Amino acid sequence: MTATAANPIEAENLTKRFGDVVADDAVSFAVRPGETYGLLGPNGAGKTTLVRMLTTLLRPTSGTARVAGYDVVRSKSDVRASIGTVSQAETTDENLTVRENLSVQGKMYGLWGKALSERIERRLSQVGLWEKRGQITKTLSGGMRRRLEIARGVLHSPHILFLDEPTSGLDPQSRRAVWDMLHELKEHDGALAIVLTTHAMDEANFLCDRLAIMDRGRILCEDAPEALKRSLPTGERVEIETDRAIDPSVRDAILALGAVNWRAPSPTAAQFEARPGEGIGRRAAELVEERGYRILHMTIAPVTLEDVFFAYTGRALRETA
Amino acid sequence: MSGRADTALRAPGIAGETARGIARGPRLALLGILAICQRAYLTLWRQPVLIISTMLFPIIYLAVLGNALNRQLVNVPLAVVDEAGNSLAAECRRGVMALQSGRNLVVATFPADRDEALKDLKRGHYRGVWILPYGLSPKGPAPAFIGDNTDRFSYETVESALAEIWGEVTGVRRVAAAPARLEAYPYLDYLTYLGPAVVCLAIFMGSMVAGGLQVIEDRMYGYHEGYLVTPVSTGAIVTGHMLAGTLVAGLAGALVLVVIMLFTPLPMATPEALGGGLVTVFLTALAISALWFLLFSRAKKTSVLRGMFGIINVLVFFPSGALYPVESYPKWLKLISDADPLTYGVAALRDLLLRGESIQTCYPEWLFLLTFSLVCGVLTQVLFRREV
Repeated sequence: MTATAANPIEAENLTKRFGDVVADDAVSFAVRPGETYGLLGPNGAGKTTLVRMLTTLLRPTSGTARVAGYDVVRSKSDVRASIGTVSQAETTDENLTVRENLSVQGKMYGLWGKALSERIERRLSQVGLWEKRGQITKTLSGGMRRRLEIARGVLHSPHILFLDEPTSGLDPQSRRAVWDMLHELKEHDGALAIVLTTHAMDEANFLCDRLAIMDRGRILCEDAPEALKRSLPTGERVEIETDRAIDPSVRDAILALGAVNWRAPSPTAAQFEARPGEGIGRRAAELVEERGYRILHMTIAPVTLEDVFFAYTGRALRETA
Repeated sequence: MSGRADTALRAPGIAGETARGIARGPRLALLGILAICQRAYLTLWRQPVLIISTMLFPIIYLAVLGNALNRQLVNVPLAVVDEAGNSLAAECRRGVMALQSGRNLVVATFPADRDEALKDLKRGHYRGVWILPYGLSPKGPAPAFIGDNTDRFSYETVESALAEIWGEVTGVRRVAAAPARLEAYPYLDYLTYLGPAVVCLAIFMGSMVAGGLQVIEDRMYGYHEGYLVTPVSTGAIVTGHMLAGTLVAGLAGALVLVVIMLFTPLPMATPEALGGGLVTVFLTALAISALWFLLFSRAKKTSVLRGMFGIINVLVFFPSGALYPVESYPKWLKLISDADPLTYGVAALRDLLLRGESIQTCYPEWLFLLTFSLVCGVLTQVLFRREV
């Protein structure tokens, strides 16, 4: 079997239509071994539908996808045995204890007896819920519940873990705890590939090795978060305030460095944008000081994935979400 | 395959991780079925309200319906107007007094005026007026009974009791030979007769709550997704749900059976009959669970169940012969009854526990229940969608 050599996920022209609505429109992408791959986009971008096709919960209208080397339409059972999923729905029973939930789910993956109980202990320790093992699930906080869902998703040591909006609806602390936990999972298990959907840029930025920005059923761009940000012609925002009026010659010199969108909110202040990663802001500041100005205030706002999304769609991610 | 297995040997030093340990084939199917049953069983004991209400409904049903219909008629107000005043009339009056003090059937008053008595009958003071006319004699004139026939039951009971008195005093009965009447089985009151039906009602309720409703709720709240993404086959998932429903419904049925035995001892409850009864209970539970699951194999909202519950209840419980003998149904109703698994459950339980028949007599019923479950199961598997 060539599955190990190939990428854990390879999707080609994956399309899903619901009547006239095209949820995913010929989506192609690949996830490499051990990679955390993010699908970033607003609600309705087609992320969940894409994940559902890859996890055999929806049949693609057209296109093909191989997960762990298996076709998602023809070899559903093999796909299911190779993946773990954490969906937006709560797939743990609130009336069962933490441990019982995993005991039920483990059997659904063919785990049994000592192997099962050892795994339960290991996974619950990993997500920090071992002390809560006897607690009825409905008494857990939202963050703990989500961590239990994740423990359920990785209980059987899948090759690929799918996380659909893993931190939506969680408070900042619980989000952070889930992120740390996912990092730890990867540390223990370097070969685990993770696919996660999110509409939070900070999450995509923090967790993903590579990510695809999705909108209206299409992948707009795909790369490592840093590379995506650097690929923008503009985006880094620089603000400089000096002790006296900025001379037009200084302005021209800064523009010559590569700055664009020059604006002067006041004679002594300047705002401009620059290509990220080239240190234009810093070089501009040096230039201003060389000309004898004193800088009273300066900010360099880095590019965010929000800017990347905006650059591709002309809309803000938050507005569409 | 070995290459794939190697990638799974990831976590160092943990015994459980050194092999993926994922069973496939029949072993996985069995574990899947076990998992679904385990959850149903655990959920059941975490929600005692559920099992209590499941059991309480049938028991209240038994207590109310059984006692309401089982009671002997007592204290029916009756007016006796004695216009004759002869010795025969006096004997009739003594007969009525005996009816009052003995069976307690009537509360007799003796107004002098017939018109007054009839007026009171219309006002609802009496359920009947018995007039002993002037010159009462065996050859006539005979007594007249005017009764409130809006209540057919007391009208007929009192009328026949009075006719019996007239027969006694005129000596007619002594002439006619009494017809022979033998009961094939020990005396049963209606409450005992209802017992098996109530057990079946408990099964019906239990399988609805644990089978149909649970499956829909799982689908509504997304729990089902957790099952669907596992490698367990659809057949095993369907079987698991059916058996989980059977487990809960069967337990409810068995518990109600025990409760009934405590209050209205079943005449033929030998250990053998009880064993057969339990088999019947679980087979009926299986068939009914299979039916619920089939009906809701595609339902996504509990409102479907709420809407259908009344109809299903009427179509499954009432035609089963639980309350009235099946034989007297019209043809169309008989057809429903013949296809209704509860009919067979009730019949088998009555055979075993009321008539004391041997277990072998129930084999046809058991066979029907098994076949019915199998057919429903296969249909469900065809209809069941593995997608969300």
